[in-house]
Amino acid sequence: MLEVNNIAVNYGAAPALWDVTLSVNPGELVCVVGPNGAGKTTLINAIAGLHRVKGGSLRFNGQDITQLASHKFCDAGIAIVPEGRRLFTQMSVYDNLELGSFIAKAKVHRKASLELVLSLFPALKVKLQSPAGALSGGQQQMVAIGRALMARPGLLLLDEPSLGLAPSIVLDMFNAIRQINAQGTSVLLVEQNVAMAMALASRAYVVEEGRIVAEGQASELLTRPEIQKAYLGV
Amino acid sequence: MPSFNLLAQSILSGMFIGGLYGLIGLGLGLTWGLLRQINLAHFGLVFLAAYGSYHMATVWKVDPLLTLLILPPLFFVFGFSMQWVLAKFEISPFNSLLVTFGITVVIESLVQAIWTADFRRLETHYNDMKFTIGPLYVPVPELITLVLSVLLSLLIWAAMRYTDLGKALRAMAEDGPIASAFGINQKGMSLMLAGICAALAAVAGICLALTFTLTPSQIFAWVGVVFAAVMLGGLGSALGPLVAGIIIGVSEAVTMAVAAPSWAPIVSFSLLIVMLLLRPGKL
Amino acid sequence: MTIDKTIAGILGAGALLASIPWLGLPAFYESFLYLICHWMILALSWNILSGYSGYFSFGHGAFFGIGMYTSAGLAANLKWPFLWTLPAAALMAAVFGMALGFVVFRVKSVRGELFALLTLAITFVVGTVVLNTPIDGGPGIYLNAVKVPAIGPTASSSIYLMALMGAVATLIISYRIQSSKLGLGLFAIHDDEDAAEVMGVPTLNYKLVAFGISCGLAGLAGGIHALFVSYVTAGETFTIVVPLTVVLMSVLGGTRHWAGPAVGATVITCLLYFFTAGNNPIAGKAAVGVILVVVILFMPNGILGYFLKRTARKNATHTVPLSAVHGSAEPEAETAPRSAPLITLETKPLLEVRKLSKAFKGVQALDGVDLKVYPGEILGLLGPNGSGKSTFINVVSGHYVASGGEVFFEGQQLAGLPAHRIAQAGIARTYQIPRPFAHLTVLQNVSLVAMFGGAALDNKQATQEAWKWLEFTGLHSKAFALPDDLNLHQRKFLELARALASRPRLVLLDEVLSGLTPAEINEAIELIRKIRDRGATIVFVEHVMRAVMALADRVAVLNYGKLIAVGPAQAVMQNKEVVSAYLGTPHA
Repeated sequence: MLEVNNIAVNYGAAPALWDVTLSVNPGELVCVVGPNGAGKTTLINAIAGLHRVKGGSLRFNGQDITQLASHKFCDAGIAIVPEGRRLFTQMSVYDNLELGSFIAKAKVHRKASLELVLSLFPALKVKLQSPAGALSGGQQQMVAIGRALMARPGLLLLDEPSLGLAPSIVLDMFNAIRQINAQGTSVLLVEQNVAMAMALASRAYVVEEGRIVAEGQASELLTRPEIQKAYLGV
Repeated sequence: MPSFNLLAQSILSGMFIGGLYGLIGLGLGLTWGLLRQINLAHFGLVFLAAYGSYHMATVWKVDPLLTLLILPPLFFVFGFSMQWVLAKFEISPFNSLLVTFGITVVIESLVQAIWTADFRRLETHYNDMKFTIGPLYVPVPELITLVLSVLLSLLIWAAMRYTDLGKALRAMAEDGPIASAFGINQKGMSLMLAGICAALAAVAGICLALTFTLTPSQIFAWVGVVFAAVMLGGLGSALGPLVAGIIIGVSEAVTMAVAAPSWAPIVSFSLLIVMLLLRPGKL
Repeated sequence: MTIDKTIAGILGAGALLASIPWLGLPAFYESFLYLICHWMILALSWNILSGYSGYFSFGHGAFFGIGMYTSAGLAANLKWPFLWTLPAAALMAAVFGMALGFVVFRVKSVRGELFALLTLAITFVVGTVVLNTPIDGGPGIYLNAVKVPAIGPTASSSIYLMALMGAVATLIISYRIQSSKLGLGLFAIHDDEDAAEVMGVPTLNYKLVAFGISCGLAGLAGGIHALFVSYVTAGETFTIVVPLTVVLMSVLGGTRHWAGPAVGATVITCLLYFFTAGNNPIAGKAAVGVILVVVILFMPNGILGYFLKRTARKNATHTVPLSAVHGSAEPEAETAPRSAPLITLETKPLLEVRKLSKAFKGVQALDGVDLKVYPGEILGLLGPNGSGKSTFINVVSGHYVASGGEVFFEGQQLAGLPAHRIAQAGIARTYQIPRPFAHLTVLQNVSLVAMFGGAALDNKQATQEAWKWLEFTGLHSKAFALPDDLNLHQRKFLELARALASRPRLVLLDEVLSGLTPAEINEAIELIRKIRDRGATIVFVEHVMRAVMALADRVAVLNYGKLIAVGPAQAVMQNKEVVSAYLGTPHA
């Protein structure tokens, strides 16, 4: 479904990622882990069209999206839950969700999508008219995920959704992600919380210093020394 | 202490001029708040439309209210094109102030070249129309201005609040890249907004022509007080400039009635200064 | 005493121009030259604050007007001899400006467009006050009866000469400021005020001084102008015209160069005259507008700036021979090189924080952190994303104010001190995302810190010191380049060079290695070791674990703002709580 081939991404003149190849098959839940500054967010932003890719190619559902304009990525079927949520804080939760379905083909299903999101995150029902900025971290994360779901994506991208959240909330959130994947949406998850991510994913990639240093089945990757070394240096 | 009638009439005329401040400020505030551009050329456009309306009414005998149907669409195209050119250069908000100042000077010269520096007054049958509510006089041109101002502000407010496009604009102003990630075409939106604000400037210009005597040098006289209204009302707000404009207009009028007329400017600017110092976060 | 060549040049040109009244030319020339001088004073003085520091003021008209009315009032109403009114005019304007600045410059968010609008509003307020009070009262002030000081053969030539002297003085002041410590500080404020403050620039004081000088000179121009027009009214004076014209002239000429506004003033005055005298004054005005638009879009640095940048680019690619570097090639170690210090119970900590807390809008970034850093050690500050590491550095360096707790450096309490004083006390930091001063050369970026930071060197010594550190970090071939021309690796090393130039005793490194290639990381590790060997203590935030293992004597781990472990690296990284903080605990 998603094929990333040999891409390189620069920040200004400096290379942030190089030689990155990964893929997500339909219905899979794949995670990308690695220490901070390794380039995980850059990778996800590139796949979401938020960052230009230099060299290599991006293909989604057979379509070459490498040079596609940013605002067309959503239409292609990719939606992102960005690092730090990045909700439209001045607008209500309801408006945020509505905006998720801004594109024409999602707008048609707006009502149904909203019901789906609210069944996934019932706590949001009472918060629909509150300004998004007034919600707690966990609730904001729910809105961010909901907003992306409203776009009815084929591929959902999540960038460190557990950041800044209390452990109990993280648990609920990961359960929701599991459900979303079970209902048919492919997921590419970037996470710092390695143990949780590996428990969820079928396959995983480890990124360090801008390159992929390991990949494979999640369950066996967790025991590999690369991860220990990358995160803890020992 | 002035009589009650005088005071009431002052307040009323303050509301009228405040409505005009708000109408001029509406387009200015939207581009400032949503596009991060300080568009001084807005004032140039207002005057260009005012003169245009004057010309059509005086020379071509077109009813000034009909010009409301002709000029705004024309100006929409002009605003759209201007934004298209400016977007090619990524200029900072401050530099946009300088560039649009340059454009305004060009417009002022153009106006002066065509219509000379003589005072021009749009004389229509509307000028003589007024009706009375009790002891108060309500001149029709001013009333039209206030009504248009309120209507347009409410229309824009409703559009921003309830329509998809309006929400998309607000989202874009808050977080452009993420808005883009959800399908919102920033470039297209900016062009459309610039066009709309130019059209609003045209409406304001027509109202200006109806109520004031025109002379090219007057363009810059409005800058200060309208900026004050926009900043007090909040950048990017649809109703803010109207409300702030009316507050300023009424305060000025009351000051004029109670003290000497020349004290009036101090009101809006002092309010602006206080706001900037105490609540800069609001902007 | 050797006089600076530029100043000599200015004085020479001034003397030449001063001879004009005696050449017997028609009076028109004096008026024309008067106008050029008049606008030169206004544009140059405006540039001192607004061009150099980036605080674009739209209120220059207010101070010009204050000067004008002071002179007019004193001369016409109080019968002062005119020449005495000029210093009074300058003083009034300067005092008013500094009082305004004292209030406004402390409000952090009033910068950029907001400052411009606030100053514009001031113009109208002052104008209204002047109009409605006995200062003017309405009819204006007539100066026909005022005796013009007999400096030149005629009245108009005397006025011209006064303006000429003002222009010469302003040019010299503008030049001196640009090449002084004040100027450098102002340029730094222009590029990044917060970083400048953290590097030791006393931003508030410098802004006040610049504003005072700027307003004073505007007041002087106003005073002279009162005599020139001989009839002063509030309506004509306190408008938007003066500030806008002045901005136009400065931006056209180039705001970063001391002579830029003078060039702009001359060009615009000539243009305007040329068109006004011709058949088409309106076309002239339009042309001025078009010129402004074109210049801003294509030459945002102004005429002078555009040409200077091109020559600077050519210079930057010259390789600088090592022999040109003053002093030895390798900076001498200040103390004997050493390895990990022996920390005993008696060792006094260099830095000690007690119960340090910092909260942002409901998020507790730091929560009661107690930590000691010993002299000569390299301490790694670790923790997952969002654990408070950068906040720690920001609070200790003074970038943020702590919400609670205390910070002691060499026994001295730091909390509450403005950042530039903390820098001068001997603490330096790097930024995770490099924040160099974009319009200053690499060399200037480093020498600035040497001047303003703890070392407090003078201009010459600071430059030498800067060269040493550029050598040390391998950047000496890029000394005259602009930061934009450097790649990320070089920019990070520039951050390092800047941090070291103030000869700090404590260096705080914030993710210096992120974004570097593995080879570059190795280089950086070597460099950091060398820095410690020369006697500095280092606290560094890092995620690149192999660097941490290679460098750190001890590590401290933060999680959710709390300190959860501290001690030798190997042991701490195997601590159960630390492992779980990083990797998370598995749940089914």
